Amino acid sequence: MVANMGLNRKILLIFSMIMICFLSACAEKDKLADGSELINKDEFVFAASGEFKPFSYMNDDLTMSGFDIEVGKALAEEMGLKPVPKRIKFKGIVEGVKTGRADAAVASHTINSQRSKHVSFTTPYYYSGPQIFTRPDSEIKTTDDLAGKEVAVAKGSTYAEIASEYTDKVKTYDSDVTALQALSTGRHDAVITDFVTGKNAAKEGFDIKEQQLIERSEQAIVLPQDNPNLLKRVNEALEQLRQDGTLSRISMEYFGEDITKKPE
Amino acid sequence: MPSFSHFFQTLIDTKDVFLKAMLLTLQLTVVSILIGIIIGLFFALLKISKIKILEYISDAYVYLVRGTPLIVQIFILYFGISGIFLLPDFWAASLALALHNGAYISEIFRGAIQAVDNGQMEAGRSLGMTKSLTLRRIILPQAFRRALPPLGNQFIIGLKDSSLAAFISMNELFNVATTLGSNNFDEMTYLLIVAVYYLVLVALLTFIVSRFERRLALSDR
Repeated sequence: MVANMGLNRKILLIFSMIMICFLSACAEKDKLADGSELINKDEFVFAASGEFKPFSYMNDDLTMSGFDIEVGKALAEEMGLKPVPKRIKFKGIVEGVKTGRADAAVASHTINSQRSKHVSFTTPYYYSGPQIFTRPDSEIKTTDDLAGKEVAVAKGSTYAEIASEYTDKVKTYDSDVTALQALSTGRHDAVITDFVTGKNAAKEGFDIKEQQLIERSEQAIVLPQDNPNLLKRVNEALEQLRQDGTLSRISMEYFGEDITKKPE
Repeated sequence: MPSFSHFFQTLIDTKDVFLKAMLLTLQLTVVSILIGIIIGLFFALLKISKIKILEYISDAYVYLVRGTPLIVQIFILYFGISGIFLLPDFWAASLALALHNGAYISEIFRGAIQAVDNGQMEAGRSLGMTKSLTLRRIILPQAFRRALPPLGNQFIIGLKDSSLAAFISMNELFNVATTLGSNNFDEMTYLLIVAVYYLVLVALLTFIVSRFERRLALSDR
């Protein structure tokens, strides 16, 4: 049916024109004078989950707030860029940074060797640690008590690995807050999460109690590995914020204590 | 269940943010349906072209799209191809939806075209029209009328499928509802509110499709 080809060709033409529109709509990263690359040359697009109160959370008008967001904004301003917080589900953030959905992630990522294979870390911008949380009437005090108990954690977090060292029953949730909420309403035996997050949830009225602090951890900003110049720039800006007290100020504002100094 | 007064109060209080989200849902839906129609028509024509290689291409496309979940397709477009070029978030979502809708629409078109009586093509040819002219002037208009009811159905499915864009962080209706719900520890109220918005959109879409059907039915008289 060769006669059809006339029509087919026209449609093919329309089709390919649409494809060209798509291709032109999608930009390559902008290259800057110092060799660093940004999605938009005067914006610092940084990812956070928006589901990790008080580090990052969504307001009712869908803007983002939290400690991580404030740090990201301060960094952007330090580098002379417009801060653009971007919400990406926590488990997708590393992939998002790798594939250029965001320039960086200021999302409370714990530095660990597994992640280091795929992305670069800056110097730590705060120090924390996973802690066990239970209901107030629980018998669980330390990691030794966790054997055989059901522990809930956030999907894609380092806490899932830690939990699996002590028990085989690990349940995953979309976010730490959901896990804590489930614990508070009588599900599972314990939650392992960041001590600040847990403490804050307890303050907000969750029926939970803090137990053993398992270890100390360092949280850092995540950047793609193929962008060393941006990593250098972010590290310099971070050091500046550390020196002039901006980091400490943001921490005091959110937690009433300074978590940005390395614990002795 | 939330009380009626609480539900209506919240519905009114949140209208600004939800209307904005509805606009994004509408944009996603309209863009993906329009591109889906073009893709669908294109692959339907490949399928009926009676040229083996083109038929295989069409078959492969329909098989790939129908054989994988939409959420997988959305993630592949969102993360996967950005190594080659960076598709903006909106286009990653709407292109994934368009490719998905396109496969189903192409099957709708193919069925409708093949359902047009063979005699119509023969009649056109015997009047001295070329095959492509007959296809364009005689077959496709009749086929389109037949395709409208299942197309309308597909549009509604496409509208509701757009909620999956929430998983790549698009602030469309469903994402806004779950975000506000978890912010305010009041999931149920917000889920009911978002259901109302979807119902309104589907009513609108149904109305538009039925108007089209009535207009095209005029030539039946």
